[in-house]
Amino acid sequence: MIEYNEKERRMVLKLVYYGPALSGKTTNLLQLHEQLTRLGRGELMVLDTTGDRTIYFDLLPFFLTAPSGLKIKVKVYTVPGQVCHDATRKAVLQRADGIAFIADSHPSEAQSNFASFDNLERNLSLVGLDIDTTPLVIQFNKRDLPELIPEQEVRNTWGPTGIPVEMASALRGEGVAETFRTLAGLVYDRIDARFLLLGEHGLTRDRFLQQLTTLRGDGMEGEP
Amino acid sequence: MTTGEQLSFLVGEEKNLRQLLLDSDVLPLLQGVLAAGASCARLTDQEGEELWGAAAPGGRGELLAGFPILLEGEPVARLAVYGEEQHRDRLRPCAALLRVALDTVLRNNLKRVLTTEIHTSVVNSSHEELMRSNADLAQSEARYRELAQNLELRVKERTADLKRAQALMLQQEKMAAIGQLAAGVAHEINNPLGFIISNLHTLQKYVGRFCAMLQFYRDHLDLDLPARILSAEADQKWRELKLQQVVADVGDLMSQSLSGAERVSRIVADLKGFSHVDDAGDMPVDLNQELERTLGVLSHVLCGRAQIVKELQPLPVVTCKPQLPGQIFLNLVQNALTHAGAAPVITLSSCFDGERIRISVADNGNGVPSALRSQIFEPFFTTLPVGSGTGMGLAVVWEAVLKLGGTIAVADAPGGGAEFIITVPAGKE
Repeated sequence: MIEYNEKERRMVLKLVYYGPALSGKTTNLLQLHEQLTRLGRGELMVLDTTGDRTIYFDLLPFFLTAPSGLKIKVKVYTVPGQVCHDATRKAVLQRADGIAFIADSHPSEAQSNFASFDNLERNLSLVGLDIDTTPLVIQFNKRDLPELIPEQEVRNTWGPTGIPVEMASALRGEGVAETFRTLAGLVYDRIDARFLLLGEHGLTRDRFLQQLTTLRGDGMEGEP
Repeated sequence: MTTGEQLSFLVGEEKNLRQLLLDSDVLPLLQGVLAAGASCARLTDQEGEELWGAAAPGGRGELLAGFPILLEGEPVARLAVYGEEQHRDRLRPCAALLRVALDTVLRNNLKRVLTTEIHTSVVNSSHEELMRSNADLAQSEARYRELAQNLELRVKERTADLKRAQALMLQQEKMAAIGQLAAGVAHEINNPLGFIISNLHTLQKYVGRFCAMLQFYRDHLDLDLPARILSAEADQKWRELKLQQVVADVGDLMSQSLSGAERVSRIVADLKGFSHVDDAGDMPVDLNQELERTLGVLSHVLCGRAQIVKELQPLPVVTCKPQLPGQIFLNLVQNALTHAGAAPVITLSSCFDGERIRISVADNGNGVPSALRSQIFEPFFTTLPVGSGTGMGLAVVWEAVLKLGGTIAVADAPGGGAEFIITVPAGKE
């Protein structure tokens, strides 16, 4: 957690989109920005890039207010996937409240998926986070590819870990909101246990998710 | 934030407007609206407190336009532009323009700050990484250095071991040569000694008879017998004792024994001279004399077996340990004898050119193939079947020549065969 200020009734959470290079982390954020209602989310900020490659990070902020008046800001970050940017990944991972691991479904990328996941595990422990208790969702992206690792194989591999796995095609906008919703749910569960979101602030899981993930066209469109 | 000497940042930490915008960012923009005709432009925080403001002299006028200022999509401040009502239509677009300008500056500043922060974090962690790997490298360098030093030490130890072993082999070779020499010399001494002893036994018997004859005369002296009878009895006794033959034989026996004893004496003298048992330290040595002595002690192997040709010219003395020339010549002559053909001819020659002494030992064997010439002086090198030679003979020669300060080379002898040429500097008094 980036910040919790009881006096100012303010909480700032950090979610990180992690994964190998070119697996579609930024595309996920672009799609979230596209699909979710403007109510409750800020502008997507893309820091300097070279070509299509993220070299710092992207940031998409979300806002919601609990019935108690507690203002919750959720900052969603991507990390650069290339191996050489490990220091940046480590810096972005600090105090993360939840991780979406975006894997590439192309069979030739299986190895880089594992390498990146290993890297996540190591970096989490380096910044003092425990992968077993940190909310984590795995998204197998690029399901629109003609050649891909079969879903059954993915589920056989990752099922035993107990980590939720989502299938997505970020380019087509499929599975993106679902991944975010699943992650937000896990984050709510974890935060609620410590900060009594429901008990003290009257914020239900449903309301938390709804405020974060209302799609365009679901109504409530308008200026904040 | 600073921890220790390093700046450290938390990616995502909340920022307020004052951290992101400078007076020099905001005030010129506000001034710009005033210049366009507005009477006042202010930026206030969410509680209504003024953050930045600019006002023209005179009244504030009407509020013509107000906009929220967003930071990361969250409203953090409010922009208000005041002016005269009649300029509303003109000033509202100006206010909108001001808002866009502020937004742009704010967004770019935020990006710059975030980029700087993450850059600093990356530099810090890269620096730490470098320091760590630097320490690792220093450690491994130290390890390799130590290894290298130990390696040198170990090589030295092994070299010393090897030298010791080689010295031991050389010593053993010398002992073996001495052993062979001793066996030959023992045989040589045994021969004359054998007939000397046999002659002495005979002489002992003869002396007994002489004594018996003398006793006969003493006994008959007292009897005072007539001369005729005495003479007849004495003749009979003389014949009984076979003294006629004994007297004839005794001269030969004596001269034979004497010459045998002289031979032994000569051999011992040769041997003594060759081994220089009585001499310690450097002394003047005539190499020709040493060559002769060597031939002397080898006479038992050379005699009747090999033809020795000597072409010796007078040489100046060299000062050295007197055992060294013997070691050289003994091994070279033995080597020549081993490698010469069925009818060995060994040619020994010496000469002095005014500066250097040159001694050569040549045989009439097959010679040394040029491919082997660089190896024959190495320890353990031998062309003989396993068990026949130690391969140390020429190594002993090499070592001894080196101690004399000379050189040794092998060449083809004029009539075929091998010629070993030793060159020794003379003039060392």
